[in-house]
Amino acid sequence: MISLRHIHKRFGAVTALDDVSLDIGTGEVIALVGENGAGKSTLMNVLYGLYQADSGEVLVKGQPVRLRSPRDAIAQGIGMVHQHFMLVPTLTVAENVVLGREPSRWGRMDMDRACQEVAATCERFGFKLDPRARVDTLSVGSQQKVEIVKALHRGAQVLILDEPTAVLTPQESDDLFRVARGLAAGGRTVVFISHKLREVLSVAERVAVMRRGRLVAEVRAANTRPEELAALMVGESRVPLAEAQTYHPPGGEKLLEAKELRARGEDGRPALQGISLEVHAGEIVGIAGVDGNGQRELAEVLTGLRTLEGGGGNLLGGPLTGLTPAEARRRGVGHVPEDRLWRAVVKAMTVEENVALGRQTQAPFARGLQVDFAGRRERTAALLKAYEVRPPDPEVPLQALSGGNQQKVVVARELDAGPKLLVVVQPTRGLDIGAVAQVQAKLREARDKGAGVLLVSLDLEEVLALADRIYVFFEGRVTGTFTRPEFDEREIGRRMLGTHGEEVAHG
Amino acid sequence: MGERLRAVLPSVFSVFLALAVCWVFIALTRDAETATGAYLQMLRGGLGDWAQYFESERLTVLTRPLGEAAIKAALLLLTGLSVTVAFKVGLFNIGAQGQMLVGALAAAVAGAQLQLPAVLHIPVAILAACVTGGLWALIAAGLKLARGVHEVISTIMLNWVAVSLVDNWLSVGPLRAGAGTHLSITGTAEIATSAQLPRLLGEMSRLHLGFPLALAVALAIWVWLSRLRSGFETRAVGLGSEAARAAGIPVVRRTAQAMGLAGALAGMAGAVLVLGTEYRYPGGLGAPYGFDGIAISLIGGNHPLGVALSALFFGALRAGGTRMQLLGVHKSYPELIQGLALLFVAGRLVWLALLRPRKVAPVVPTRQPETSPEVPRA
Amino acid sequence: MLEIIEALLSSTLEYFPALLFAALGATLSERSGVVNVGVEGMMRAGAFCAAVAAITFPTPVGVLVGMLAGAGMAAIHGYLCIRWRSDQVVSGMAINLVALAGGTYLLESLYGPNGTPPIHQLTRWHLPGLSEVPLLRVLSGHSALTWLALVLPFAFHGLLYRTPLGLRLRAVGEKPHAVATLGLSVTGLRWLAVLGSGMLAGLGGATLSTAVLDRFEQHTPAGLGFMALAAMVFGRWTPLGAFLAALFFAFGGALRIGLASSAPGLLEVVPQGFLLALPYVLTLAVLAFQGQRTHAPAALGTPYEQESR
Repeated sequence: MISLRHIHKRFGAVTALDDVSLDIGTGEVIALVGENGAGKSTLMNVLYGLYQADSGEVLVKGQPVRLRSPRDAIAQGIGMVHQHFMLVPTLTVAENVVLGREPSRWGRMDMDRACQEVAATCERFGFKLDPRARVDTLSVGSQQKVEIVKALHRGAQVLILDEPTAVLTPQESDDLFRVARGLAAGGRTVVFISHKLREVLSVAERVAVMRRGRLVAEVRAANTRPEELAALMVGESRVPLAEAQTYHPPGGEKLLEAKELRARGEDGRPALQGISLEVHAGEIVGIAGVDGNGQRELAEVLTGLRTLEGGGGNLLGGPLTGLTPAEARRRGVGHVPEDRLWRAVVKAMTVEENVALGRQTQAPFARGLQVDFAGRRERTAALLKAYEVRPPDPEVPLQALSGGNQQKVVVARELDAGPKLLVVVQPTRGLDIGAVAQVQAKLREARDKGAGVLLVSLDLEEVLALADRIYVFFEGRVTGTFTRPEFDEREIGRRMLGTHGEEVAHG
Repeated sequence: MGERLRAVLPSVFSVFLALAVCWVFIALTRDAETATGAYLQMLRGGLGDWAQYFESERLTVLTRPLGEAAIKAALLLLTGLSVTVAFKVGLFNIGAQGQMLVGALAAAVAGAQLQLPAVLHIPVAILAACVTGGLWALIAAGLKLARGVHEVISTIMLNWVAVSLVDNWLSVGPLRAGAGTHLSITGTAEIATSAQLPRLLGEMSRLHLGFPLALAVALAIWVWLSRLRSGFETRAVGLGSEAARAAGIPVVRRTAQAMGLAGALAGMAGAVLVLGTEYRYPGGLGAPYGFDGIAISLIGGNHPLGVALSALFFGALRAGGTRMQLLGVHKSYPELIQGLALLFVAGRLVWLALLRPRKVAPVVPTRQPETSPEVPRA
Repeated sequence: MLEIIEALLSSTLEYFPALLFAALGATLSERSGVVNVGVEGMMRAGAFCAAVAAITFPTPVGVLVGMLAGAGMAAIHGYLCIRWRSDQVVSGMAINLVALAGGTYLLESLYGPNGTPPIHQLTRWHLPGLSEVPLLRVLSGHSALTWLALVLPFAFHGLLYRTPLGLRLRAVGEKPHAVATLGLSVTGLRWLAVLGSGMLAGLGGATLSTAVLDRFEQHTPAGLGFMALAAMVFGRWTPLGAFLAALFFAFGGALRIGLASSAPGLLEVVPQGFLLALPYVLTLAVLAFQGQRTHAPAALGTPYEQESR
């Protein structure tokens, strides 16, 4: 139905798409896989009219079309659900869905008709959504459904899903796969962008593999193994799937003993509702959970960034109550936060200034009241070399580095301080495979050297790959604890949805 | 060094562009000769009448204009630094006007009411102005930190409160010269001679101690921001307050300190105005010094030394403006040049793109300009 | 007592339209995500051009010219901030300074320091039926702009919350990328809002020189544009909120003038400066009381960039 022919796209000096051609048929589920930065999303953004290809053409039903904006793509029956949802949080479901094609009468918006129309679309495709609910009150899974309804409401025949399962539980993902297959059975086409190979092979009929801006292979899912796909993605025989992991018994000293922690989230709602957990020296403790179930707030409490409202405990020889960021650092807590550019680094400062952050009052970053320029330069240069940061220049502004290199700087800085407890949140999100492997290796190395690591990740695969023990969070409570090797992915998934799993999923 | 040059270039170019555009403007409305003549007068008024000096060898034809330029520059520099320091911690100080105003009043009161020898009187009067201005700015900082009130709004409000209280109550009421008598004098009583900033060149110029003082302050702030730990922490708060907080930097303290310092600098500008040239609080500042400070700071790239250069330049221009009157060009013309220069600084992405050689497809600049670290969001 | 209240209300109605138009303009721009601290400058341009145009043309034409002048200043702002993604606060301040100095220069070189020659003020509507009714008679004797100012906030409220365009404007200030992925033009919507904002600010300025006064004076609008920004924040970025805030500020102004003329004895006890400062102190107090909760559009001040990676 749709053919992409010889698409080229450059961003400045970077070639994002290099002569990519792809045919997308009717009624199929096709997957597009590749590492971060391989060009999957860029290709689909070209198809959706958000980016303009430098050369090449797009054919719909054999006719060349010009896709200058999403408006053109929508007119051609193409819909897209972005990885980061394109929803206006303060508006209702119906307002989000009809935005741009609002039903109106004499210039006035007809809100009732909008709600009816949206309800009808939901009904038709089997989604349970309240058109009048504000989007920011919905769960992540439901927000994704709003996105899909948005596309279907515009008559999408081709639905592009960009990394749709990144923030879903296994159960929610299964739900989504059912929807995808149903749409394909009904004659629509679903394009699935992902880097999770197993799920790709389970949902798609055909898999297209991209690498460094090129389409390198197209295979049928039925007779392909994940390892083969991984090899195609990386382009070498180096297969970076999670390496075999041995269990490290919690023999070390107890670094953290938290009891009945209570705290509020940014929106003022209770986020931690009695969390108790322990972290010992020499283990990686993973926190599994759907986004927004208290993981973020736990990390903030432990690093002194959020006030504890109840409960308490011991952190590295001191009380958890009344902890400040400076005190947490003094006791030996390292922190790799989730939102790097917001909380970990100052992007307009130089790399060396960022390395000094957190230890700006200590040697070798300061001498008395003065900044120690020479000491700072020397230490930074050594770290950049050890962590293979590109470019290894302490003087460039941090924002000139790629995301992966920025994250390496953060990890290098935190580990260089010799933390006893390392709190890491989503440490590999958005990094390419090389950087992911390196960051994960550094976390293991820190553990092996005797540090305790508390790992919060929304990517269950990552938690399963790294953790020695897992706490499952749901609505601010611990709903399950697991110890390697008894990791049961399905069971963990169920616990992530609380006790009444399936119902919650529809939120 | 190349990086540094690239940082300075847009401002320099903007200033010259503004000069050129304003020349064309006069040339179009009057004629080219008048335009050139007016610019020459501005030059003579700001940098001294060198031609006449070589003819007559009277030093005053140089020292008088240069002194006036330095006096103007000192005020611009101090208010400019006030805006810069606030910028560094991530706040947009629109309140330099109000802070300067209360500072000026405090200096006038301290200058008139206290009986001290000059070595003490001048520092005490300046200190009074700094403390008052600093406290005035701390109201905005406090509202921001404790209650989340956006500083752009609160400093605008505080400007009006300062004008209302000082110009419509204190300086016309309880602090009016000859209050209680029937003398109709506007402004406060004249300060004691011991509080007057000494003239540096005696009778040859009005140039006073305020100018070197302002330069020294600029230098000190540069050292603080670039060399000292606390300066580093302050900049970190300004460029990324959450990252600074996570790094254990006392964000609240640094913010309050910087805003207090910003107010103190504006207050010092008030002191320099009162102790240096007015010798009393005249019942109003008479010019939007605070807004000039914003322009000076932004044109100077929010860098203490850049701000000093920008203040010197526009100080000379302002002083020269009075001489443009000779050719019927209003003395406010340098302000227009200053405004346009700021507009060109704001729009530098436009002409930077126009100047860029087109070898590749135009690359859309992805970085935001660094000048203003935050936007009004109450 | 009744006369005092009537005088206060009447003078409130006299002063509030200019403030309201500018506050609505600021609200419009900022709801679409573009910070507009250049309102003061846009008002000044509007006030000056309206007064100059009204010297030769009928005054209503002058008002239109003032609106266009405001839009012209806004076009500069839009070009820098929307087209070139420049810093919105800096651009706005630059517009203020250019308008301040440019206005002074033009005024001085064209007409001298005492302002433009007097023009015919906009016709004041005396409503025969109303002028006998106590209290309600304060509505009589104002120009059409006062009436417009009483109606416009509600029309604007309807536009923002009851029409497709309003929905899109609100969406673009909250999450421009969501709007773009639906095939709508983010830049188009923002241009619309910014130009509309300039027209309203220009109208506010024109109100000063054609309805409140009968000329452009040296200091017009004397900080009213900044007051409008405060009214916008005070009104939580909503048209009706701006309406109430503008009324409140105007009442504060009227109170001062009214008390000075009607109760001179009071000024012996309470200095005039206190009364002058009152509305501003109250604003600060209310903002402090309102506390941390921000009502600003989420994407306010963030330049929109489509092809970003």
